[in-house]
Amino acid sequence: MRVAVTGTPGTGKTTATELLASDFEVVHLNEVIREQELTTGHDDERDTLVADLDAVESWLGDREDVVVESHLAHEFDADRVVVLRCAPDVIERRLRERGESAESARENAESEALDVILGHAVQNHGEDSVYEIETTDRSPESVAAAIEAVIAGEREPSAGTVDYTDYL
Amino acid sequence: MAENEDSKWAIAHVHASFNNTIITITDLTGAETLAKSSGGTVVKQNRDEASPYAAMQMAETVAEDVQSQGVEGVHVRVRGPGGNLQTNPGPGAQATIRALARAGLEIGRIEDVTPIPHDGTRSPKSSG
Ligand SMILES: Nc1ncnc2c1ncn2[C@@H]1O[C@H](COP(=O)(O)OP(=O)(O)O)[C@@H](O)[C@H]1O
Ligand SMILES: [Mg+2]
Repeated sequence: MRVAVTGTPGTGKTTATELLASDFEVVHLNEVIREQELTTGHDDERDTLVADLDAVESWLGDREDVVVESHLAHEFDADRVVVLRCAPDVIERRLRERGESAESARENAESEALDVILGHAVQNHGEDSVYEIETTDRSPESVAAAIEAVIAGEREPSAGTVDYTDYL
Repeated sequence: MAENEDSKWAIAHVHASFNNTIITITDLTGAETLAKSSGGTVVKQNRDEASPYAAMQMAETVAEDVQSQGVEGVHVRVRGPGGNLQTNPGPGAQATIRALARAGLEIGRIEDVTPIPHDGTRSPKSSG
């Protein structure tokens, strides 16, 4: 089985997946994309690499029993797609603390407020395969436990459980 | 000022999320809000707030409101998956634009300014 863990940058994907107790291998896809140079170019406006989705798909190949963690994870084949959610103002603060520019933090927070990643996850995989997890005010351990419940089949699919449009 | 050609045009900002649609109409500079409506104020049931029906009702209300203020046409700035996904969720954006037109407003430029999630990498797919 392949599990995607996606969500806007700053929602805590890397932190939570590092705490997973399951036997699944965790693929931190952003690192792979950078190290293997699976890119088609550079977005100068955002100072960010543009991922080559086909190249990433080939790199993933037929790996099984993996957790693929990235805000791009929902772009690829997966049996279950976890979408981590977090209040946009918290995301904005975390990204600023991580050293990102005000514009970048703001654009990501706005993406979260508009459910951009959730929308794409549902479009690509259907509501029956999407598991939305609200993480605001939850510890990384508790988020990891919720992801483990998805892997174990102990959680029902969900989407559209939060409304962050107040941020806009 | 009131005779100024520009004063008859405004900007309709459509925010279309999975669960909600918000329409704000501002002057061309974006500084002054002329009318605002959110899905939540029209339909109470959570999941219906982004429905085309709710968006249509909202668009009719704000269109009437700004027409009474002398606005004849709007440029549209869409933000959100509702703006670039072909299917549900977020059908609110398309319905909103159609309803603004049906209410008698001229529609000018339609721009998709949906934000793109990014850290060191981004998807090539997102528009905007
Ligand atoms: N559950 C949480 N509660 C509080 N802070 C968190 C939580 N998860 C992550 N963080 C912090 O938020 C920041 C972003 O987390 P990270 O795991 O890098 O997010 P992502 O991989 O989704 O971009 C980090 O500084 C991290 O320590
Ligand atoms: Mg990360």
